[in-house]
Amino acid sequence: MSGPRSFLRTWILSLMAFAVLVVSVNLLADPYDVFGTPRIAGFNARKPTARDHAMLTKTYQVARAHPATVVIGSSPVYLGIDAFSPAWPAAMRPVYNYGIPGGYATLASLETLREAIFAGGVKDAVVFLDFQNFLVPGGDSAAVTEESRRFRFAPDGSPNPYRPRQMAEDMFLALGTMSALTDSLITVARQEKPVSLDMARDGSATEADFINAANADGMHDMFAQKDMFEAERANRSKRAIAGWTGPLPGLDIVSRMIRVAHAHHVKLTLVIAPHHFDSLELYWRDGLWPRIEQLKTELAALAATPDHDVILWDFMDYGTFTTEDVPLVGDRRTETHWFWEPTHFKKQVGSIMIQRMFDGDGPAFGAALTQANVAARNADVRTERQAVVCGPDRKRPLTALDKPPGDGCASNGVVLRQNGPT
Amino acid sequence: MLFNSYSFIFGFLPAVLAGFYLLGARNREWALLWLTAASLVFYAWWRPVNVLLIAPSILINFALSRVLERTSEARPRLARITLLGGIAFNLCFLGYFKYLNFFAGSLNDAFGTHFVLTQLILPLGISFITFQKIAFLVDVQAGRVSRFSIRDYALFVLFFPQLIAGPIVHYREMMPQFRALSCRYDPDNVAVGVTLFFFGLAKKLLLADPMSRLIAPLYGQAAAGVPQSMTEAWIAALGFTLQIYFDFSGYTDMALGLARFFGIKLPPNFNSPLKAGSIIDFWLRWHITLTRFLTAYLYNPMTLALTRRRMARGKAVYGGRNTTIPAFFSLLAMPTILTMFVSGIWHGAGYTYILWGVLHGLLLCVNHAWRLVRPRIWPNAAVYNRRMAPVGFVLTFVSVVFGMVLFRAPTASSAVMLWKGMTGAYGASLPQAVFSRLGAAGEWLNTIGVHPAWTSGSVLLEATVRIGVLLAIALAMPNTLEILAPYEPALGVKPAKVRPLAVRALAWTPGRTWAIGLAGIALAGILSLGELSEFLYWQF
Repeated sequence: MSGPRSFLRTWILSLMAFAVLVVSVNLLADPYDVFGTPRIAGFNARKPTARDHAMLTKTYQVARAHPATVVIGSSPVYLGIDAFSPAWPAAMRPVYNYGIPGGYATLASLETLREAIFAGGVKDAVVFLDFQNFLVPGGDSAAVTEESRRFRFAPDGSPNPYRPRQMAEDMFLALGTMSALTDSLITVARQEKPVSLDMARDGSATEADFINAANADGMHDMFAQKDMFEAERANRSKRAIAGWTGPLPGLDIVSRMIRVAHAHHVKLTLVIAPHHFDSLELYWRDGLWPRIEQLKTELAALAATPDHDVILWDFMDYGTFTTEDVPLVGDRRTETHWFWEPTHFKKQVGSIMIQRMFDGDGPAFGAALTQANVAARNADVRTERQAVVCGPDRKRPLTALDKPPGDGCASNGVVLRQNGPT
Repeated sequence: MLFNSYSFIFGFLPAVLAGFYLLGARNREWALLWLTAASLVFYAWWRPVNVLLIAPSILINFALSRVLERTSEARPRLARITLLGGIAFNLCFLGYFKYLNFFAGSLNDAFGTHFVLTQLILPLGISFITFQKIAFLVDVQAGRVSRFSIRDYALFVLFFPQLIAGPIVHYREMMPQFRALSCRYDPDNVAVGVTLFFFGLAKKLLLADPMSRLIAPLYGQAAAGVPQSMTEAWIAALGFTLQIYFDFSGYTDMALGLARFFGIKLPPNFNSPLKAGSIIDFWLRWHITLTRFLTAYLYNPMTLALTRRRMARGKAVYGGRNTTIPAFFSLLAMPTILTMFVSGIWHGAGYTYILWGVLHGLLLCVNHAWRLVRPRIWPNAAVYNRRMAPVGFVLTFVSVVFGMVLFRAPTASSAVMLWKGMTGAYGASLPQAVFSRLGAAGEWLNTIGVHPAWTSGSVLLEATVRIGVLLAIALAMPNTLEILAPYEPALGVKPAKVRPLAVRALAWTPGRTWAIGLAGIALAGILSLGELSEFLYWQF
């Protein structure tokens, strides 16, 4: 064969054949779980690239999952809560993990909560709240996030007018793009990998990234690196919230969560997520501790709305799980039990929290907060801290607390108070 | 409308081609009118007001060229005044839209004045169109162009494949082709056009654009005053050099391909500039038609006038072994730096572009000076070329990479900061994750001043691999013009007499292998269309 006519004919036919092949591969591999293609072990059962398109994947997954319980939050939920954990009471199953990785703010949690509730069938909603999201004035002001265009429902519960177009774009993204093809090939190639990223049909994710990083770099480096990022973030938060008076920013979004849950007869559990000692000490160092107590107090007041089925749990304390030691520098073998790094707890901690909240059992960790006990709880956590930081062991975070206001301990070990919003 | 968009590839282009071929089968004049109208639609697509801005300028230039045509021989003085008026009009037109705010802002900065900076609509491709219109006026006045109608002129200026970002074409190389067009479907031209277009699309979307994502944060950090270590600074510099290389190369291939669909061969504009052995060679390979324009319409007239003046005063002129230092400075260095200054400011209304132009002007002067001096200290040219070619290549490459930092950096101070980073002023570092894996080698690196940092190891790895692959393609592979040389992919391009093995191995033929291979390349490009991104040169 030669000559321009047959060249062009062959080119067009090849182009069409390749295009059909690409669409077929993407449909069968379904790397983002958009189509719900049957998962075949060794071919497409794991979804190692779905995490990078989590909002896309989860919006389509949750529509198929018909969960009785949804768990909502950001990456700590995405990675640390197992929707299939035996700790979930039978009455709450099936559970869907609607945690979205990538630093999503409280508004995104409200949107995902609405999306799950409006679909019907949800009886329980568990929303994990990130303390630092309440330190950014105006940070949650966007009316409609880009991702919410693909939701089935508008904020008022009516059909979302943006969805048809967004769905067409999503189908195209999942079938006819180079990134989908690349991700399809990665999906197939990584099925046999011993430790691989995955997003199950119930939204739960594997902790492969953390496992691989821990194996390669050791837990010390993971904590040290995250400490640095958290220090920068806490510093930004400190500047952003300085001089702020009145209720913390973003609390109105929590009020809206409570209203929407109440309107649809959904039991709402609000959770102040646990942080490792390193993070807690960063907040202390930056003078943010009064803000933490303010958040707990204001959330307890919101949760006390009469006739509303809302429970508030606080896991932000200096207990056994949050104060575990970080391996020493250079030690790449020792593993931590409860935290991957200062802000991401392991699935074991997730299961213990589920047990504590819904079974009333399990080891001592966290506390249900009410308006009646919040002041005492705040005092208790300060006492816990005093015991950990100013006690005989004088525990220190990885990042040395050499900046004012220091560790809060007087030279004789007496704790110094941080008073009022800074 | 972007060449790399669904609407262009699956809507505009097929519609225009279908109309052109169908009309061309009946009446070629209709087909050419259709092409002109389609070019206007293309131009207006983004912002219809563009047409209202550019149309009067085209009409005025046409009127001026008519005056020039009638007076260039009969009344040369009037013709000269008309020409100067035309050039001034075009430069003022360009200056008003592109440079007014820059100059006003500069005056405000320098003298504390309070000129109000207004938001002006910058007509698309104005820099390219202005140069083409000036070249046309000069050519008419010089008698190099005659017999033209408003339809010819409009098609010459508006022809959409080269309208926005070049190549900068001459009327005398385009109009003979338009006049000879059959305006019918020609599979030979379409086969070459399809190949060029999708080569370019793949270069742009698969090679250039992914680099942008990696380097943008580094330039952002430099602009925010965050010092970059040696590793990051070099990634920023090399990454952008390769990004703009494949971006511009891709655009040029697409423009050549689009023109070829209509049977038109545009002049070559890009010829593996990173393979250049000297900075003079670089400018003969990078944006060839801009170099040609500036040389013909700025550098040469300036040098000629200065040479005449020096000769009239009995002073030595430039050329050969007897060149004096004053002659070198006044007849080469000064015109070169001035020309490159214009080149710099033509690329953008900003200090960084001006500095980039002047830097290249200085480099060209050094190169020319070395050409004068070298025979005295190294008389054997053959031996010199054999031994020093690699040195010339490395010096040119490093100079170009350093210069590109100015081209990309948002401010001159951030460019200087990146240069300092490249020279190690802020130390050298590698991500902690990389250090952890290096073991004893990591400890040794520490002793020579390379420190671990909490930067992303995966980003470094991706950037390094991408830079390595792109460098290999840019430096070791034949370019599009070489691969398609037997089919004259650009005006005047012919196969070399001696073709290296790589060129022979990859030589394009309209056979099955290339048809299937091109289908794969085209599909990869089409699948990557989702992320819309402008060509870097469109902003100029």
